[in-house]
Amino acid sequence: MLETILGNSTIERILFFIAVYKEGYAKQMADTFSISLNGVQQQLNRLEEGGVLVSQKKGNTRIFTFNPRYIFLDELKNLLNKALKLLPEKEKKKYYRNRTRPRKTGKP
Amino acid sequence: MTKINWESITIKEFAGIVSYALKKNNIDAVLVGGACVSIYSGNKYLSYDLDYSSYNTIKEIKPCLEEIGFKQTAPNRFEIKKCKFYIEFVTWPVTLGGSKAITKFNKLDSGKGIVTLLTPTDCVKDRLAAYYHWNDPQSLEQALLVAKNQKTNIKDIEAWSEKENKSEEFKLFKKELEFK
Repeated sequence: MLETILGNSTIERILFFIAVYKEGYAKQMADTFSISLNGVQQQLNRLEEGGVLVSQKKGNTRIFTFNPRYIFLDELKNLLNKALKLLPEKEKKKYYRNRTRPRKTGKP
Repeated sequence: MTKINWESITIKEFAGIVSYALKKNNIDAVLVGGACVSIYSGNKYLSYDLDYSSYNTIKEIKPCLEEIGFKQTAPNRFEIKKCKFYIEFVTWPVTLGGSKAITKFNKLDSGKGIVTLLTPTDCVKDRLAAYYHWNDPQSLEQALLVAKNQKTNIKDIEAWSEKENKSEEFKLFKKELEFK
């Protein structure tokens, strides 16, 4: 939907992912969308270099979030939220309804 | 220009040389981040990473820095042999969070060139922003170093913190600042 202005569909998916879940890491996004890890990493680097995202290392994982200093952050979030609402319900359920609440260790 | 001893250069001189090389080619760049803390704290905190924000592209910046011996070592990074300092370019405009860009900067004569950098007040806000957003204690420490060594507008910092919904965190900063 926004890939024309964002440049490609991987960037669109990454930004949708962060808009919904607030944070994410490359493998998690690649697995969610069944796309190449290398492609996700490349686009994450691009977004980080452009100041849209920032990352922090937690353990061995690099977690990405929106950069609170990105000057167009409010506008970008509005755009993404509008686009997310227009996604087909099937798409929303498949990618943007993952469980994020805690789950006790050992619980199946 | 006399030969530069990159091994023993200070951060202020380094910033002056880089700023001069850019300005000579009509490129405006603002020094932001930890390097401003180093300069304003008289090196009580030492950053090796000089973050510059410029509207110009890396393609335009690259030849100006290569002219004085720098090599591009990453998409936004430039380094020079035997020197502990390196340069990184961050996105334009300069912001502290929120939708407002900073447009007024400080100018400092380093003896090697004029450096455009954050004002001491914005430098404190810049560090506090990192403390507010990421709960980073090092950033709080750096904000305190600048506020203790430079004349800053505490009322302005307080009003900005309020807008960021961080009045409680600001109180802690102020308490630490007043603690002798």
